[in-house]
Amino acid sequence: MNKTLVALALALGVGFIASAHARQTAAAPALNDAQIAHIAYTAGEIDIAAAKQALKKSRNKDVRAFAEEMARDHAAVNAQALALVRKLGVTPENNPTSESLSKGAADELKKLAALKGSAFDKAYVDNEVAYHRTVNNALSGTLIPSAQNAELKSLLETGLKLFQSHQMHAEHLAQSLK
Amino acid sequence: MHRMMVPVIGGLLAAIGGSPPIAAAAKAQATAHAHRVHVIVIDKMQYGPIPAGLRAGDSIEWVNHDIFEHSVTARDGRFDIDLKPGASMRTTAVAGTTAFFCKFHPDMTGMLVVK
Repeated sequence: MNKTLVALALALGVGFIASAHARQTAAAPALNDAQIAHIAYTAGEIDIAAAKQALKKSRNKDVRAFAEEMARDHAAVNAQALALVRKLGVTPENNPTSESLSKGAADELKKLAALKGSAFDKAYVDNEVAYHRTVNNALSGTLIPSAQNAELKSLLETGLKLFQSHQMHAEHLAQSLK
Repeated sequence: MHRMMVPVIGGLLAAIGGSPPIAAAAKAQATAHAHRVHVIVIDKMQYGPIPAGLRAGDSIEWVNHDIFEHSVTARDGRFDIDLKPGASMRTTAVAGTTAFFCKFHPDMTGMLVVK
C-alpha cells in the first residue's frame, strides 16, 4: 500500500488496516466539519492530479477514458464542496490528515512518473482501486458519521456513492489490464 | 370524441374538402392519445423510478439533476445519450425489454419494459 493510503488509513483509524500501528491510532481525535471538508476536498484533488498525470502518460483508450471520468467527477464534487463551505461560512481547515494525504500523493505521483506504457497503466489503475477502497472506508467509517452539518453529510454521502462507483469501474479496468 | 371516430371524420372532411386545420387537430389529438412523454430523473448517482405502462412510440425524457455527467446507454446499442449536469434528452420507446447503464458509472443500471 502506498504512502497516501497508509496516511489516510492511519489518520482516520480505518479498521481494515490490520496492523498493530493502525490499532494504536484507533482513538484518533474527533474531526470537525471544517477539517472533514478539507480532507474530502484534498482526497478529490489528489485523484484529479493522478488523472491528469494519466492523461499525459497513457495511450490506452480505456485508461484515458477512466482518467477523464475521475478528473470530471471529482472536479464536480469539489466545486459543490467549495460552494457549500462558502454558503455555510466555513473555512476548510488544514489538518494532519490532509497534509499526510498530500505528501503521500506527491510521492506516488513521482513513483508513477518513472513508469511507462503498460507498466504505468497497470500501476495507475491498481492504485486507483486501492485509493478508492481506502477513501470509501474513511468516508463510511469516519467522515460521514463525524459530519455535523446535514448538507455536508449529504454531499459526503453522494461522494461515497461516486467513489464506490469509481472503485467498481477501476476494478473492472484492472481485470482487463491483466 | 371516440378514438375510432377520428380517422373516419378526418377522411370525410378530406373527401368533402373540409377545413385542413380541423383535420390536423383531430390527427394531433389522436397522436396525443397514442404517445405519451415519461420523465426519468437521474440524481445522486442513480436513475429514478422507471415508469410503468411504457408503450412503443412513447417518448422518454431523461433529465440529469445530478452534479455529474451521466449517460443512458442501451446494452444492445439501441441508444447512447450523454447528459451533462442539468441536461435533458428524449428517446423513443421501442417494444421489448432493454437493459441500460451509465457508461461512466457502470454500477448505475436500469431496465425499460415497453409494450
